[in-house]
Amino acid sequence: MKTKILLLIITLPLLLIAQNKIDPSHQNQALKCNMCHSCEIPTKEKLCLKPCPRDKMVTIEQTPGESPNVITIDHLRSQTDLYKPVKFSHRVHAEMSGFGSGCKMCHHYNPPGKVIGCSDCHEASRKRTDISKPDLKGAYHQQCMNCHRQWSGKVECESCHALNNSKQASVAVQEKAKQGNIVHPKIAAPEIVKYDTPKANGKIATFNHNDHTKTFGLDCENCHTDQSCNKCHAKNKQASLSSRTVADKHAVCDNCHNVKTNCSMCHSNSVKPGFSHVARTGFDILKNHSKLTCNRCHTTKAKFSGLKADCSLCHGTWTKENFKHAVTGLQLDEIHSDLDCTECHQEKNFAKPTCKNCHEDKVYPKDKPGKMIKK
Amino acid sequence: MAKHSRRDFLKTSALIGSATLGLSSTAKAAPENVLSEDRMGVLVDTTVCIGCRKCEWACKSAHDLPTASIETYDDRSVFSNVRRPDDKALTVVNEYQSITSDKLPINVKVQCMHCDHPACVSACIVGAFSKKENGSVVWDTDKCIGCRYCMVACPFQIPAFEFEKALKPDIKKCDFCINRTASGKIPACTEICPVEAITYGRREDLIRTAKEKIKNYPHRYINRIFGEYEVGGTSWLYLSSKEFEQLDFPKLGKDPAPGVSEAIQHGIFSYFVPPVALYALLGGIMWINKNKKHNETDTEN
Repeated sequence: MKTKILLLIITLPLLLIAQNKIDPSHQNQALKCNMCHSCEIPTKEKLCLKPCPRDKMVTIEQTPGESPNVITIDHLRSQTDLYKPVKFSHRVHAEMSGFGSGCKMCHHYNPPGKVIGCSDCHEASRKRTDISKPDLKGAYHQQCMNCHRQWSGKVECESCHALNNSKQASVAVQEKAKQGNIVHPKIAAPEIVKYDTPKANGKIATFNHNDHTKTFGLDCENCHTDQSCNKCHAKNKQASLSSRTVADKHAVCDNCHNVKTNCSMCHSNSVKPGFSHVARTGFDILKNHSKLTCNRCHTTKAKFSGLKADCSLCHGTWTKENFKHAVTGLQLDEIHSDLDCTECHQEKNFAKPTCKNCHEDKVYPKDKPGKMIKK
Repeated sequence: MAKHSRRDFLKTSALIGSATLGLSSTAKAAPENVLSEDRMGVLVDTTVCIGCRKCEWACKSAHDLPTASIETYDDRSVFSNVRRPDDKALTVVNEYQSITSDKLPINVKVQCMHCDHPACVSACIVGAFSKKENGSVVWDTDKCIGCRYCMVACPFQIPAFEFEKALKPDIKKCDFCINRTASGKIPACTEICPVEAITYGRREDLIRTAKEKIKNYPHRYINRIFGEYEVGGTSWLYLSSKEFEQLDFPKLGKDPAPGVSEAIQHGIFSYFVPPVALYALLGGIMWINKNKKHNETDTEN
């Protein structure tokens, strides 16, 4: 009897520990259990998984280059098949998905860990009790057709499947992909785009693409969100462009700019020059602030509100003791370095120093209170 | 399903007629007209359908209707006309262009909706139509007398008639593949659909799935499931990105279609009071006229 109790005492905590042991694939994951499980302590028998949290948790740590090149889809092979299995050119598609929303365009559910394919979730049998997600055949076709019919308009089976009685192993394009010589041509980013608009005052809307990508440091996907193949490959692109409403055309700009009141920012009667901080605000950032990113000073996210032209906002209070004037490129001479800042910089923005306090006949920058040095 | 011949039907109707004569029982639905909680249905997601028309081919093959080879169904020129199901094609797919031309066209499959409260069952004077436990609305060819009341009654104008057949013409419509489902298969169209735009399942589950889809993709769907409430609910349910009336769906209320016609019919014949009253009125008029005539001849003499 004693030994039995002893055994029980030893095994009970072990059992409990075993129950609470986290699945190895879940380790090292900064995830909360309740993201996927609806009960507090999920067990292997009772996983109590929530329905797909979809894009909230898509994590694929694999670049298109590391992904498989060609995948043969033959999960659904049967005797009566009219077609051969599809040789899916995965890598090319993975590369192209970069124009859209990336891997999650197809891998719309992928918890951290290995990359999971369609057949891991979608049932192979069409007759099933859980109809909340399409069966495997439906899932494959929905995923493919969603894009393919958009830009080719074709739904014929033979654009992807080779006929079973044909000599070809797969469709010509798929054969080419197997040899690895299909790539989507690089998309050339424009520098400046000029739009002719019907607006009476300001017929030309200038969009400086270069400014947005290089000067403002925006990523492609900041503006080109969730782009479909159709965007470039539409069957009748002109028709789709002309059907866009005024609101559609302004929608992308509206994310950052106020398009209702700020027409002249883009619209003008001639092509507008690129962005210049000094022209827009009067403050020349190229002199001393050229290495800073925009958000060092413009801290409010996305919307660049103007600053109050007050250096002390960022720099605290400068005095003649704590500010080394040499950093501006002007080494003050002995007399001038003893003066208070405000003697010359009467305005808070430190932009226009004046000599009038002491010298009636001197003007900056013609006359300098020291010598220019190299910064 | 037990097969009854027309002779059987006449026999039984004569028997029932004589038995219930004068008893004036209110017409109850036949016991086979049940509305099971587990009745099946089909959810058609028109945003997924690619208009490949494989369902049309599968339907014809499953029902032994003459059909061209499956490859010919790739021809999209048929979409230039809006087609309707008929006695030679129990289901058809139509295409509707989107307003903005960069959007994809919308394809809509049309067939019998298999109503929960079918007007055809109510209208059929010989009780050939019935709503089965699995949700299907089917008819017994041997009972059918070809009156075509079902065609008039149907709010979706689905039942078709083999007008070209001189001998034994039949009513034709989607029968929810009753023979296939009886042997454990799923309807032919739902099986062949490559994208599973048509999902076969319990009606309750389908509605739950459809609502989930609308909730998850509010930009993709309008917030309505056609068939959830229309004419008291239908077994076939539709999801769409566009108002259904723009896709040639009939504008229907929530009340079951037989409600109105049954109320009038049953009202007229309830307890035989209105017919008796009508005859009494006519008799009265005759009696008055007769009396008048009698009086007139009396005065002449």
